[in-house]
Amino acid sequence: MSEKTESSWLQFATDRPRLTVWTMVVVTLMLVGLAALPSLWPERFGLLNPLTIDTDPENMLSGDEPVRVFHDDMKEQFSLYDMVVVGVVNESDPDGVFNVGSLRRLYELTEYASTLRWPDPDNPGRQEGVVEEDMLALSRVDNIEQEGVGSVRFSWLMPEPPDTRNQALAILERAQRIPLFDNTLVSADGKAVALYLPLTSKDMSYRVREALLDKVAGWEDTSDQVYITGLPVAEDTFGVQMFYQMAISAPLAMLVIFLAMWWFFRHVRLITSAMIVAMVAAASTMALLVISGSTVHIMSSMIPVFIMPIAVLDAVHILSEFFDRYPHHRERRRAIREVMGILFKPMLFTTLTTMAGFASLALTPIPPVQVFGIFIAIGVFLAWLCTVTFIPAYIMLMPERRLTGFGHAVGDPDGNTVMGRWLHRLGEGVVGHARAVLVVTMVVVVAASYGISQIRINDNPVKWFEPEHPIRVADRVLNEHFGGTYMAYLALVPEGGDVILADYRQTFLDRLASHQKDVQAQEDATVAVFEELRAMAREVSGDTDSAKAFLDELDQRVGVQLDAASDTRYDAWLEAQSFVDGERQRSETFKSPEVLRYIARLQQRLGETGVVGKSNSVADVVKTVHRELLGGDAEAFRIPDRPAAVAQTLLTYQNGHRPQDLWHFVTPDYQNASIWVQLTSGDNRDMSRVVEALNDFIATNPPPASLQARWFGLNYINVVWQEKMVSGMAMALFGSFVVVLLLMALLFRSLLWGLLCMIPLTVTIGAIYGLIGIVGKNYDMPVAVLSALSLGLAVDYAIHFLARTRATQAETGSWRRSVAPMFGEPARAITRNAIVLGVGFLPLLAAPLVPYQTVGVFIAAILLTAGLSTLLILPALITLLQRWLFPGARRAVPNSQKQEEGVQ
Amino acid sequence: MSRYWLVTLFQKLALIAMALGITPIALAQDAGAAPEVERIVNRANMVSYFQGRDGRARVAMTITDSQGRTRSRELTILRRDGPETDAVEGGAYLGEQKYYVYFRRPADVSQMTLLVWKHQDRDDDRWLYLPALDLVKRIAASDKRTSFVGSDFFYEDISGRSIDADSHELIETTDNYYVVRNKPKRPGEVEFAYYDVYIHKQSFLPVRTEYIDDSDNLYRRYTALAVEKVQGYPTVVKARMENLRNGGTTELTYSGIDYDLSLPEDVFSERYLRRAPREYLQ
Repeated sequence: MSEKTESSWLQFATDRPRLTVWTMVVVTLMLVGLAALPSLWPERFGLLNPLTIDTDPENMLSGDEPVRVFHDDMKEQFSLYDMVVVGVVNESDPDGVFNVGSLRRLYELTEYASTLRWPDPDNPGRQEGVVEEDMLALSRVDNIEQEGVGSVRFSWLMPEPPDTRNQALAILERAQRIPLFDNTLVSADGKAVALYLPLTSKDMSYRVREALLDKVAGWEDTSDQVYITGLPVAEDTFGVQMFYQMAISAPLAMLVIFLAMWWFFRHVRLITSAMIVAMVAAASTMALLVISGSTVHIMSSMIPVFIMPIAVLDAVHILSEFFDRYPHHRERRRAIREVMGILFKPMLFTTLTTMAGFASLALTPIPPVQVFGIFIAIGVFLAWLCTVTFIPAYIMLMPERRLTGFGHAVGDPDGNTVMGRWLHRLGEGVVGHARAVLVVTMVVVVAASYGISQIRINDNPVKWFEPEHPIRVADRVLNEHFGGTYMAYLALVPEGGDVILADYRQTFLDRLASHQKDVQAQEDATVAVFEELRAMAREVSGDTDSAKAFLDELDQRVGVQLDAASDTRYDAWLEAQSFVDGERQRSETFKSPEVLRYIARLQQRLGETGVVGKSNSVADVVKTVHRELLGGDAEAFRIPDRPAAVAQTLLTYQNGHRPQDLWHFVTPDYQNASIWVQLTSGDNRDMSRVVEALNDFIATNPPPASLQARWFGLNYINVVWQEKMVSGMAMALFGSFVVVLLLMALLFRSLLWGLLCMIPLTVTIGAIYGLIGIVGKNYDMPVAVLSALSLGLAVDYAIHFLARTRATQAETGSWRRSVAPMFGEPARAITRNAIVLGVGFLPLLAAPLVPYQTVGVFIAAILLTAGLSTLLILPALITLLQRWLFPGARRAVPNSQKQEEGVQ
Repeated sequence: MSRYWLVTLFQKLALIAMALGITPIALAQDAGAAPEVERIVNRANMVSYFQGRDGRARVAMTITDSQGRTRSRELTILRRDGPETDAVEGGAYLGEQKYYVYFRRPADVSQMTLLVWKHQDRDDDRWLYLPALDLVKRIAASDKRTSFVGSDFFYEDISGRSIDADSHELIETTDNYYVVRNKPKRPGEVEFAYYDVYIHKQSFLPVRTEYIDDSDNLYRRYTALAVEKVQGYPTVVKARMENLRNGGTTELTYSGIDYDLSLPEDVFSERYLRRAPREYLQ
């Protein structure tokens, strides 16, 4: 950007102020209109993108991430749904929930919940809401138990509410006998029962929850407590709270910034101009976000709160400078041109560095973070554009008399204000004790490095809510009573593809030969038929290429023979068919007793981690049904010894009310299995511990079949995106460091100056992250995201400081003589800025979600520290490095500027 | 509509000869209007479950889930009626019955057998033989609306729902069908609010049954897909049950259907569970 462009812009803005203002207003209204119209009347503006809220933590990863593709695939294969979890807890009754009254209410609640379905607006004729068939509740699951000698009974566990205490207690006893229910549906102490409501889609959870809350509103005078949780509920609640945040925190930020500016400048009209810039930038950016079709995620909902303080930043510099200069000129055109002349370049570069900091987030593999970074970069650019055009125009439109009294009285601003005096002394002190400042800095750096090495990477979306939020409370209570409400799934899937026929054919023929030996003694028809089968197998094997296709075709041919068989050969062909069938079933891995026992051992190992409260698998189903078939003794709670016995046990199980339950644990071809792992904690590092425990187990106990174990479920997805975020953030941090450094080297046309510019903010960020490590706060999503962007933001102070240092030094001719002027207006601007900006982010503390609060505290801390370290470290370093920084420094010829400062 | 469409294997059209004798009288009595609903229901139940002294069929069962994944089973079913006659007037539509189910495929469940003694006035008796565990187990079955071997059919669909369990109402008479609405007398014991059965006017074969839940949604549907004459009588040879909630479907295809085989009563006893009566299973 050449100086020419710069001045021609300024010329335009100051000469045609009305046109400038109108252009900005019209463009802003247009953007807002394009975003608002389709959101308000989607049917009439179908071509435009409406506002879309996205609260799904899964979307932290893009839809085509392998872990998500696998997750979706497995969810479909095992018919798993997102669930609302309802816990009914009775702490005061001696029988816990298992009293007549509580169970009756639970029964009614279950019946009511089963009807929570509504017509699906997108699919006429279909319904959305609770998936009744897959509900898990005492009155909706099957019990299996002994009934007299040699008889077993399958029946509903609680077909109707009990009438007597004994009946109620019997239900508890039965439920606890069935491992699938114990600690999942009923708690060990009998004080709590759970109700799992699968949903057709997550976004039904809010409606379902509201309906349930209505229903239990009448329970207040009972001793039953009802807790509703589950990830879908948490997600929907995010959505609501995000709006709350945008509606409360953003305006609050405006107000706080306004007050801070008023404190400094005491001129409502002028600071209004900065507020207008902030609003225009924030509104246009959000409009662009909607127009582009991006969703509003927990990250992007913070965009306005970020843009507003940054947008006023440049305006504060202008006003601050104008505040100091106007009294000298008492002529706004001249004053504003002078101000813009001094500030244009630093403002341009600070804007570019801030943009670089945010845009670097596009290097992370996390889409919501990318959107957040890119759109704030755009917003920062818009804010700059408005600042350099609108503010001068605005000032030009103000009648001169309105400015009367604005600014420091000509005199001594340094000595007249507390800040001025304090900064003045600070400057003298730093330069006088440059070495001491640097020693302290080094100590901070060393401590910070230690702190950073202690950082604990961890996140937990449920903890995004404040501790007393109903969701957190429900989470805590239910995890105390049950085996855990955080569900992770472990899929066991076959390794590699189809068996190649070339390998398989000989195996088949060998096994056939051995079988033929067994049938030698039988009737001639059988021997003959098996010979025919052998011939058939040789023939078929020529036409197909996979073992499966081979067996399919063989089976079909046997079927033809069977249908045409004479009475004498019919049985023989049946036997041949059975042989082929048996071969086909060899791929049914999860009927193998060896594999099932392996699963049971694996579950046991996971249970020893201390985080897994409970796990369920097909092995548990087999063991339970086997026990009841064999008379109910604990000794029979085991996997039977033959695959056929497993198959027959499972077929017996499927004669119940819910045959489909089996398919949550194993696919109908018995080639894939899933283990439900219930964790009592949603912390990512706890999930990571479970993952490690499994890896250890598999390393020392390889699976008996060629299987690979792969995790899915939201808890695991969280771990994956966290890992990606950590590495992605390192990348973004590095990227933005390099870009900012290059920009600085370009701005100062010196690598040394560029490096110097990077030092305060590097120390700042290091110190803050070191502190996080030392106090033990989790390095979570907001903390990670802030590292890269704060770099671009915090460098601003160094830019302003160094740019002004160079200008001042050029005038004064020496660094020593520049110190006083530098700790005059430039230091005041930086201080004002750090305060306005830091305070501007604090309203995020009023937001209901913890990540917002973290961002607020964190960024305020970074900005204030960066401001301080700029004013401390830079002058100290310049003092020590002046020989290299100002080679051939000469005594400057005193000029008018110098004289004015001399007066000060 | 469990009882009617049960159809499946055992229904033979009532002895049509007898039917021919009765129908004109019924029509004459009602002066051309539909016969009273109880008559239709009784008749349909007889046609669906009680025709002939006994019967046999091979059943190919294909269970398909909403993702198109299929599982196949092959069974042979034998049936023997208590009543000596097929005459509706003689109460043939609600007699005692015994079923013997022999699993052929898949291989790992082959030779499993299931014996059901169906009673009108008390719970059915059921026994199961699991060859791999060498175990015969009596299964207490107070509830007949459980899955029949993992399919979308219920036991009650296979062996028939007691006529007395529901009240019946003829809601429509079309050119081809009587449409009968059935409401349970004890709604707490079943998952439907009511079900409508489309009974073919000439054959009294239920060809479609629609189950409606408490929210007035159709959630389950039976359809007779193919009818053939076997030994002179129309018989459903292919039938489908759809679970409209989870998208599952089960199709049954009958072959090798035979009636009046003179199956001995002792085949339907615990003794034969372990030792399948090969001669009668074909």
